Formats: sequence, C-alpha cells, structure tokens
Amino acid sequence: MREQLEKLQRDAEEELRGALTDEAIQVIRTKYLGRKGVLTSILRGLGSVAPEERPAMGQLANQVKDALSLRIDSVLAGLAASKKDGKLLQERFDVTLPGRGGACGKLHPITLVTQEICGILASLGFSIVEGPEVELDYYNFEALNMAKDHPSRDMQATFYITENLLLRTHTSPVQVRVMEKQKPPVRVIAPGKVYRPDADISHSPMFHQIEGLYVDKRVTFGDLKGTLTFFLKHVFGDDIGVRFRPSFFPFTEPSAEVDIRCVMCSGKGCRVCGQSGWLEILGSGMVDPEVFKAVGYDSEEYTGFAFGLGVERIAMLRYGISDIRLFTENDRRFLEQF
Amino acid sequence: MKVSLRWLRDYVDIDISPIDLADRLTMAGLEVDAVEEYTPAFTGVVTARILSMKPHPGADKLHLLEVSTGEQVLPIVCGARNMKAGDVVALATVGAAIPGGYSIKSSKIRGEASEGMLCSEDELGIGPDASGILILPADTPLGVNLIDVLELRDTVLDIGITPNRADCLSIIGIAREVAVLCGKKLRYPKIAFKESSEDIRSLTSVEIMDPDFCPRYTARMIKGVRILPSPKWMRLRLEAVGLRAINNVVDVTNFVMMELGQPLHAFDFRFLDEGRIVVRRSREGEPFVSLDGKTRNLNAETLMICDGRKPVAIAGIMGGENSEVKEDTDTVLLESAYFNPSTIRRGARFLGMGTDAAFRFERGIDPEGVVRALDRAAQLIADLSGGTVSKGHIDTYPGKVDVSGPITLRMKRVEEILGTEVKAAEAAAILKGLGMNVKKEGRGVLSVIPPTFRVDLWREIDLIEEIARIHGYDRIPVTIPPIPAPGDIHDRKREFESAVRAALNGQGIMEVLNYSFISPQSADALALPESDERRRFVRIANPLTEDQAVMRSTLLYGLLETMRRNVNAGSPDLKLFELGKIFIARGEGEQPREVDKLALLLTGSRYGENWHFQGLATDFYDLKGALENLASCLRLAALRFVPDTTIPYLHPGRAARVLIGDREIGSLGEVHPDVIGRMDLRNRAFVLEIETEPLMGRADTAIRYREYSRFPTMIRDVAFLVPMEVDADRMLSLVRETGEELLETVDVFDVYSGKGIPEGMKSLGLRFTYRSPSRTLTDDETGQVHGRMVKRIVESTGARIRGES
Ligand SMILES: [Zn+2]
Repeated sequence: MREQLEKLQRDAEEELRGALTDEAIQVIRTKYLGRKGVLTSILRGLGSVAPEERPAMGQLANQVKDALSLRIDSVLAGLAASKKDGKLLQERFDVTLPGRGGACGKLHPITLVTQEICGILASLGFSIVEGPEVELDYYNFEALNMAKDHPSRDMQATFYITENLLLRTHTSPVQVRVMEKQKPPVRVIAPGKVYRPDADISHSPMFHQIEGLYVDKRVTFGDLKGTLTFFLKHVFGDDIGVRFRPSFFPFTEPSAEVDIRCVMCSGKGCRVCGQSGWLEILGSGMVDPEVFKAVGYDSEEYTGFAFGLGVERIAMLRYGISDIRLFTENDRRFLEQF
Repeated sequence: MKVSLRWLRDYVDIDISPIDLADRLTMAGLEVDAVEEYTPAFTGVVTARILSMKPHPGADKLHLLEVSTGEQVLPIVCGARNMKAGDVVALATVGAAIPGGYSIKSSKIRGEASEGMLCSEDELGIGPDASGILILPADTPLGVNLIDVLELRDTVLDIGITPNRADCLSIIGIAREVAVLCGKKLRYPKIAFKESSEDIRSLTSVEIMDPDFCPRYTARMIKGVRILPSPKWMRLRLEAVGLRAINNVVDVTNFVMMELGQPLHAFDFRFLDEGRIVVRRSREGEPFVSLDGKTRNLNAETLMICDGRKPVAIAGIMGGENSEVKEDTDTVLLESAYFNPSTIRRGARFLGMGTDAAFRFERGIDPEGVVRALDRAAQLIADLSGGTVSKGHIDTYPGKVDVSGPITLRMKRVEEILGTEVKAAEAAAILKGLGMNVKKEGRGVLSVIPPTFRVDLWREIDLIEEIARIHGYDRIPVTIPPIPAPGDIHDRKREFESAVRAALNGQGIMEVLNYSFISPQSADALALPESDERRRFVRIANPLTEDQAVMRSTLLYGLLETMRRNVNAGSPDLKLFELGKIFIARGEGEQPREVDKLALLLTGSRYGENWHFQGLATDFYDLKGALENLASCLRLAALRFVPDTTIPYLHPGRAARVLIGDREIGSLGEVHPDVIGRMDLRNRAFVLEIETEPLMGRADTAIRYREYSRFPTMIRDVAFLVPMEVDADRMLSLVRETGEELLETVDVFDVYSGKGIPEGMKSLGLRFTYRSPSRTLTDDETGQVHGRMVKRIVESTGARIRGES
C-alpha cells in the first residue's frame, strides 16, 4: 500500500506539470482526490493491511492527500496571477516619453555667485548691508580720499547725473555710509550693482561688486591676508595659489591687489591670464586714515581692512564664460545652463 | 609706461633676466603688464661687401653689383649712387621682409639678374636717411644679421604705473626702484656743458602773472643750433618706448622727459614777440592753434605760455604751431617749469588733450628737479646740434610748492598695521634706498624726510606702505581674525529674496538681469501718461548710447526687450522674473527714490512645445496663479486683485491692481496689444510688477497649529446664472460675509458661457463645503444653512439658479 500511495503522488505531480488550464487541473483533482478517485480506491485496501500497520498507513494517506491538495491550490493561484499580469501588460505605456510639467526655473549666474560669496563671508561673521546705486560724489569719491581734480579719479570713469550725483562706480561708498552710522567693530559686506562707462567683451557698463569692510582694534594686514586667502580657497579650491602684491587705491594704504593662480592654465601662462599665470581677482588694503577721518573714527585706536571683488569676473572664471555681455543679454539658452 | 631695458641699463646694472625683473617689479607694486622683445620690422637683412660695381647696360640710373656675404657672391641691381666697391652694406636677401609689407624676390631688372636689395636706413625703418643706401663701417663682419650688428634688439617692459607713483613716470624713476629691489647702485646721468659769455638775462625775460597756476618757470637759451635727425642711440631709445623721432631738438625734450620725468618745451626764439615769456591765464573764447595743427577754443581757466603779445603754448599740455622748432631754427628757448597739477588736469580735460606732458604734470613732478632737467636738455641740445648754451638760466619761482617735512615713523605702529615686526634697521635701509633722509629719533622711532620727487609721501602710513612693499607682502604672515559669535543672523531682505527666487524657480520661472539704464523712449512705448511718476527719469549726463540714457523707472521695459530678443532668437516660450531697483527722480541734484521691485513675464506656450499639451498658450491665470503661489510659499496674507481698466500698458479688460491689505503694491495683466505692436514683440505676453518691500514682514511666520474636524463634510454645488460683469470675487465675498460657521470652504468649480446660456450671462458654479467641528451634520441641518446662503446670493445679485446638487 505504501508503494501505491507514493506512486499516486508521483503520477499526480507529473500530470500537474502538463496542466495549463483551470479545467485540466480540476480534472486532475477529481481523478486523484475525488470521491471516486484513486486515493479512495487505494484506501479501500486498508482492510487487508496488518492491524498494527493500519494507523501508520492511514497517516501516510492523509499526508499525501494534504500535500497534493496544497500543490493543486498553488498551481491554480499561479495560473490566476499570470493571467492577470498578461492583462496589465496589455495596458503598457511608453515610459520613455517625456514626463509632464515644465523645467524648473534657474537663477541668474550672478545671483548664484553672489549667494555663494555672501554665504562664505557670512560664515566669517560679515553681515550684509546695502547702499544707493545713484550716489553722491561725496560718498563715491571724496570721502574715499578721491578729491575732485585728483588723477586717481581716472581709475574709474564715471556716469554722471549732475555734477554731484553719479552712478556709483564701486560698492565702496557703502563703507562710508556704514561707518558714519555705526561705531566699531564693523564687519560688513555690501553686494550690489556698480556702473562705469565701458562696454566691450570684458567690460560691462553695469556690473556687480561685493565690498567687504572689517574695522576693529588691532586689525592687521596679516588679518587681511588670512581672511582673503581663506575666502579664495573656499571659492576656488584648497589648492589655489594666492598672492598679494602692492597696488594703489586712494582709500586704502597699504593696498594690495590679490591674484590667484590662473585656473585655466594652472599658472603655465595662457590667453586668459595674459601669459602671466596669475589672475587679478580682487582689490584690498588697510583702510586709509583719511577715510577714518571722514567718518569720525580715531585711526590711532582702530585699524581695518577693506576689499572689493567683481562678481562677473568670478562667474566668468567659474563657468568658463568669455564674453561679459552674455550676462545682460538674457538669452534663454544661456540662462538655462545654470 | 614702456620702459626700454637698454635705456634702463644706462642708470642701473641689471644681472637678472627680464622675466625675473618683471616679477620683482610687479611684486613691488609696479605691475608689468607685458615683457616684449623689441625688434625692428624687418628680417633677412645681412651685412655684405660690394666686390665690384659697373653701370647697368640697359639703364642709366642703375648699377650692376657683385656683393659677397662671406659665403656667397650675389648679383644685385641697385639704383643708389652713394656706394663704391669695398663698402659694407645692408643686403636684404631673397626671402627677406622689409617694412611696408615688402618681401624680396629673386628677379630680373631690365634683363639683369638681381638676388636681393641693398637698403637705406629709411627703407628699413631704422633712421631718417633716404638719400642713399646704408654704408656700414669697413671692418663690419660679413654675413651677419644687421639687427645684431646695429644692436637693434631691445626688451621693453610695459608697466602700469598707479596714479600715486608720479616718480615712476621716468626711466630714472624705474631705475631707482630696480636699484633698491636688486641691491644695485643708481647712476644719474652726468651733466656738464660749456656756456657762452652772453648772459641769458640780457636776451630774454620770464614773467609769471599767475603764481598759483605756475609756481616755477625756468629757461635756458641755445644759439646756433643745426636741426638734424637725432643720432641712432637716441632714436633707438625713443622708439623703443613708443615715441617718434622728429629732430635733434624736439627729441631731446622728449628724451629728457622720459629720462627724468620733467616735461620740457623748446620754442624757436625768433617767433617770440618782444623776445620774452609771459605766463598767464587764457581768455574766454581765445583761439589757439596747437602743434598738431588743431584750433583750440580756450576757456578762462587754462594756463598759457605767451610772448610779449600772444600765446605760444598751452602750459604743460602742448606747444603752439606759431613757435615750434623748424628746419631752419637757429636759437632755441628751452622751458622747464612746475605747473599746478590741478590746473593742468582741468585744462587737459577741458581741451580733451591727454598728452604725455599733461599726464606727468597733473600727477606732480619733482619741483626741485626742474633745473636739473633744464640743464640736461641744454647739454644734449648743444651736443647734438652744435649750438651754444647762453650763460646762466632764468629761474622764476614766485609760487610755493608743498613738499613733505620730516615724518615721525614709529616701529610699533608698523607692527600694528602689518601684523609683523620689521626691524628699525631694515626699515631705515629700505627708506634710504628710496632716496629718503632717515634719522633715528628715539627708541623705535625714526624721523624721515621724503625726497621731493616722492609727491605721494606725507604721512606715517605712506612710509609703512613703502616698507611693506619693499620688505615684501609675501613675507607678512597670514593670520585669521577672531570670528565673532553671530549676532542677528537673520538678514531679512536676503532671506526674503531667496524665498522669492526659490518659489519662482519652483514654478519654472527663470531669473534674468537687465541693465539698470533704459531708453527714455520706454515711457512712450508703454504709453505712460504725462503725470505718471515713471516719467520722472533720472537722466545720465554722459550715457554710452541713447538707448541707455535714463535709469529705469520700471522693470517691465527691460523684461519686454528681453522677450523680444528671445522671440527673435527662436525662443518664444518664456517665463521670466527679475528682482531689482527702479529709480524715480526727486528734486534737481537730489538722490532719487530707489524702489525694490519684482517683475514677471510669461509668454508663449504654457509648458513649451510638448506631446502632452499641444498649443496650450500661457494666459492671464498662469500669471495670477504664479503670484498667488508665490504668496502662498511666502505665507503672505491673501493678496487682493482689483480690476483696473486704466493701466496704460495693459489690456483694459484683463488687468488688475494688486493689493496687500489696503496697500497697493503693483499691477498685473495682459500686455496691451498696442504695446506689443509698438515694441514689435510679435506674441501676447502677461506681466506683473510689484514692490517687494511691503511684502517683507507681512509673512505669517508665527505658525500655530489649528485643530481640524474629524467629522464628515456635506457638499452642495450650485450653478448661478449671473450677468457677465458680475465678478466671481463679488459672489465669494457675499458668501464669506455671512460668517456662517458651518461653511468650511467655498470654491469656484466651473465658469461657463456660450451654448445654452443667454447672451450677456455666464454660469458660475460654486461648491459649498459644510462641516462641523463637533458632530456629523444631518441633511436637514445642512439644507437649512445652505438654503439661507443661496437665498442671500440670489437676493443680492439677481442671480438665477441654473442647477443645484
Ligand atoms: Zn592662464
């Protein structure tokens, strides 16, 4: 009888493998497990089994029955699932078609660079201030130690409104306005638009500067170097070479032009850096005592440094833009890239 | 300024390469912009000897020559006459290039072969002599590049001199810096010459009418000059620094200006009426013909050099045509003066004449170097022209030129400024090297008198800069100042603008940046009425172009121009915004009102050309939605929109004023078709412009959670039939005014007019959502509340009910 039961199991499995429809499976179930099925007829022979083996045989017959039942259910379930899948597959989409909804907007590259720079300087404790773009001659020049008729005014060609009113040529007048209102310590940056009558591939009549000013007791030229080196390494990477060289600005003394190693040629010399291997990146210096005098600070008690940088210049280096006019042309194909 | 190394070496020894020299100068504040090899504009010219010479059989004026370069013998046909067999000459060989773009080819001239050309100085551009070919000394080696034989090669440094360093506008000034930086000795030129017995004071006089403008005027006279081209050594030096050689007198004045930094002028004495000099101001409207042949109309503020009757030069700027040195000049009156820097600057600006002389005078020359330059020029003119210098010089010095007295320099202060200690001995050595008189005044204190040519040194800080510059900025150690605990870290405006940008970016709107100046035509283009404050332009006195002549009084004009450029460039689908200032003029000379604004422009298709939405154009509600979305992102209280038919550049039926609370902040709408036409924009566009300042601080940033109801809603939809001109806002306000507690929201879910709706009417579908915070509403209860609501609307507006559910 044991052999008969095992054979039943093998035969049924074999037939199930060939069954592909619900009906065929139901036929198999009836054939083996039905009231007139194979299992029933085997169990009829239970009487001829030795009485002591009967419980074991009964148990085995039940096991075979349960196993086969389970197996049939699972084949049926599998068949149902694959039928449903087939139907869903027919509802297929072309998932490679573009999705709906427009592209996200972009910020202007000048905004991006301004935000980045202001962020770095804010982390050094500088807070942001603003000043008027149509400025008085006094703030733009005179209070910054640039008297009328002084040749230093040649350094900054100027758009005039009237004799004493002009479009600010730099963000430095904000320094003066801040110091007039506030006692030291002062640690501010002033981003904004500035204007000079110049227009070509590398000059725009309107461009952006960020001015920095730090005045306190015992601020030194070493602090200026440290702060600006830290700043430039944040903007251009830790490996960037930085050098400070003497220069002249009427409102700082000593003054320093700050250069970085050319990011285009790594210092070997190229068209961008005029073969020098260095790029002028910002102007800086210790605040001139004349400026302190104009705002009523005691230059024996306080010292400070100021710096100014051109946002367009940094954006051009950062993004590889060679024509400054692109910033104000606002061609969609330009704006989309940032 | 261009500096010839050949010339520089006359005053200081240089034993480092030009590149190293350039680097040292740059790092000391004299920025070298370029290091250029200066060579004449020819190649392939070598020395050669004429072996034989006979007449050309076919042409009277030509000769047949055989010349040897040492390696080959070449036949040459030559038209000059000044040579003979045995002369060493300059041969442009086949393939040589000579000035004027000529290249030498192998040729036949009247049947005779010519393998090159013998050149004159003039043809090579190295001198004025065009009368015959260049004959070189007989012992000149053959076959050698002429550039090497004549030592025509030079290196020229182009140095950017900052406005404070007037003393470096001369070769000697640069040499002085080189000497300090390289530890060399500076050699001044030796000045010595013979004088005749005739005293200059018996020949001429100088009278200064305006000592403020001309504190000092000195003069010498040289008689019996012969006007000739200058010698090669002088021409090479002048040309290397970019000056054109003219004649031996004019060249000397230029040479000494470059050498010592003192501009000079030479008059032909015979043209000076009454034989004397008078220095006075010009008269208003006085005409004067300057050396360049141009007639200048003077103002009353220009300083003139005159003779007894008439002006003969614009002081410090340019000489006059009426007294210039000519080929037959015999007697020269030489001027060396100190003019007030502001005077010269004003004059040069007024006349638009930025000459080399004016450039130096306006930056300030050495008031005590005037006579030395006069003597140096007299010496050179006498040497080169064979003239005789009259005895003595005139030095009229009625004015006073400020020069710096002793400056106290505290070494402690040096350290306070630089952040590093510099030893007093080093500081003293640096300052002495720069020509200063340095004395020890006490412990760590020096007393320093700057030389008179350093017109930029007056204060202790000026000396500290000199010390830092020569000591080397790179040797000053880097320190980081203490970073303060952040105070008020919230920068309201910055944060607000960032939030605006993020909200607009999130809606696919791109930021643009337009010029702050626009065309004054913008007011007409936008049809602004005469009374509109946006016509109160801030006008630029010296604009680059008329298109950029006024400061913008609206951001919209720039946005529309940006649209036009993009549409023309094939990008018609645009969503743009700009944040920036506009400017409204106040009183004359007063600073204008500067107002922060936000502007948006939408045009073209809503989502771009795209398979989902074909031909779906942007409309008014995209724009309004963008603003509402922005307000929501910024947590602003509800904006209000009031229809306005009078905004000149907007479609009268599709425009609204925008208010926050009771404050009007701007407007939005469809651009008026006339504006589209006038500005040639081609497509419809929707714009808004609002002031941003009133929005700041209106954000509801104090977030308080409110309990929401856990009971179900009852929804009732009603379609009202109302006249076309009844706006949705009116209906919604009526509903809200009821203050019905159970009404949770009311929304417009449908607007329809057309088929099935009477002419002049529209169907407005409102959805009323009712809910109680504390219980489930019954149908009856809801019905009662809703009935009252609908009745009220019907009574107030005359609306009819088209359908209800
Ligand atoms: Zn480079």
